Parts: sequence; structure tokens; C-alpha cells
Amino acid sequence: MTVDQVRLPDLDEHLPRILAGEFEAFGSWMAGAESRLRDSLRSFAIRVDVEGVVQETALRIWQTAPRFVADGRENGLLRLAIRVARNLAVSELRRYRVEPMEIDALDREAQAYDPTGSGVPHVPDLLLARRIKDCLDHLPRQPGRAIAARVGSGGTEPDEALAEGLGMRKNTFLQNVTRARKLVADCLAMHGIDLAVELS
Amino acid sequence: MRRGELRAILIEAATTAWRPRSPSGELRPHPAWSDLDPAGRLEAYEAARALRRLEAARDPEGLTSTARAVLARLRAGR
Repeated sequence: MTVDQVRLPDLDEHLPRILAGEFEAFGSWMAGAESRLRDSLRSFAIRVDVEGVVQETALRIWQTAPRFVADGRENGLLRLAIRVARNLAVSELRRYRVEPMEIDALDREAQAYDPTGSGVPHVPDLLLARRIKDCLDHLPRQPGRAIAARVGSGGTEPDEALAEGLGMRKNTFLQNVTRARKLVADCLAMHGIDLAVELS
Repeated sequence: MRRGELRAILIEAATTAWRPRSPSGELRPHPAWSDLDPAGRLEAYEAARALRRLEAARDPEGLTSTARAVLARLRAGR
């Protein structure tokens, strides 16, 4: 498969349904946009909690989508989201009273990010997803339960609650999540897939 | 608990999509993230990237816990 065949699809195809207020369509947009959005914030990761910025950006994009004006190029909503995310990250840095020179340097690095030139998988997405799922399905019981609880909660419950629900101490729960992540990476490596390379 | 173990726990704790909120509903940084040094924060960021990839593969609609958290807030009217 060539790079052209796996290039970033135009996520703006979801726009009409997003404008109609369909959460499912926004979910589909997020499924394609989130990793690029997160990647675009890498330079800020040592100073800003990127997870919160990604979520806040997505909420703002949902709110501003009705006023979005396409410029004729693909992935306009994603490019807008990346700008919003960068502005939010810079606002956080100012709130933390980070030196302006450091803010400028981090922002410049973020501006250099190209959403169409990143996230292109070395292994086709569907194959990678199938391999990952196979590896997750073969996890030992406790790491498998920990990962399943994280996914099942959809980010709405703190780890303390998830651990309690599984009858684990919080630290044991977190060690199981770490173990799951490493075991899946090892399992993928056995299939010739380097997860770190796929994410690079 | 040894220092290395504590650091690993903090890094993993920061990878969750759950975030505390301020009284006005704004997301706040995860307490574990706030306790990490810059190198630890970068590790947490990379670990979260890898985890989200696993989550998306496991989810029938290809959604991560981040996307699920956002959709939950939208459905709840924030």
C-alpha cells in the first residue's frame, strides 16, 4: 500500500452532520482528528497538561462549528482545531507565568507541525487496529481488566473509582495499565509492528 | 515505595482522560501531572498517545477515552 492510499482523509466530510447537531458525526470527526490534535501540542507537553487542552479544544470546535467557513482546502475544521488548541496552550502558559521567550519558542515549534504530514501509518490503520485488538484480547486477566475499565469509563471516572470497582488498590490498577501497555507493545513487536514507529 | 516506582505510578495516573474540574466546570490539570518533572510529563504525554491508540482499536467506533469524555460532556450540556 502506498502512502497516497493511507493519507489523511478529509474529515470535513462530517461537517454537514456536525452542523445538524449529530454527536455521532462529531465522534467520527474526533476519531480522525484527535491524534493529530494531540501531536500538534507535543512541544507544550512539558508545561501544559495536553489531555485537558485536547478535550477543551474539541468542546470549542463543537460550539464554533456552525460559524466555520471552509477555505476550499481539505481538513479545514482540523486546521482550525489545531490553531484553537495552540491558543489554549499559550493561554495556559501565560496563566502559569512562563517566560514570554519560552512561550514564543514552544509556540514556534507547535506552528511547524503539519497535520497532513504526520500520523500517516507505516502499517495500514485497519490492519494495525486488528493486530492491537488481537493483542489486547490476549492480555493476562488483570492488565486486561484494567485497560477495559479505562476504556469503559470513557474518561468520566477517576482511576480511584475504577480501581475500587475492580477490587484493586489504585497503585495496583495503575501498574496493570502500564503492564498492559508494555505487553501489547511486545505482542505487536512479535508481529513485526513497532508501536513507537507507528506513532512517530 | 521507591522513587522510580512512584514516578511510574504518577506517569500512568496522568494518562487517564479523566480530569478534575473547577467549580465553574473548566478542566484542571491532573494532580499526578502537576507532580511530575518535565521529563516525566513528556513520558506521560507519550504514554497517553500510545494508550489512546490501543483504546481506539478496542472501541467499536474507533473512539478513545478522550473522545468519549468529550462526547459525554456534550451530551450532558457540558
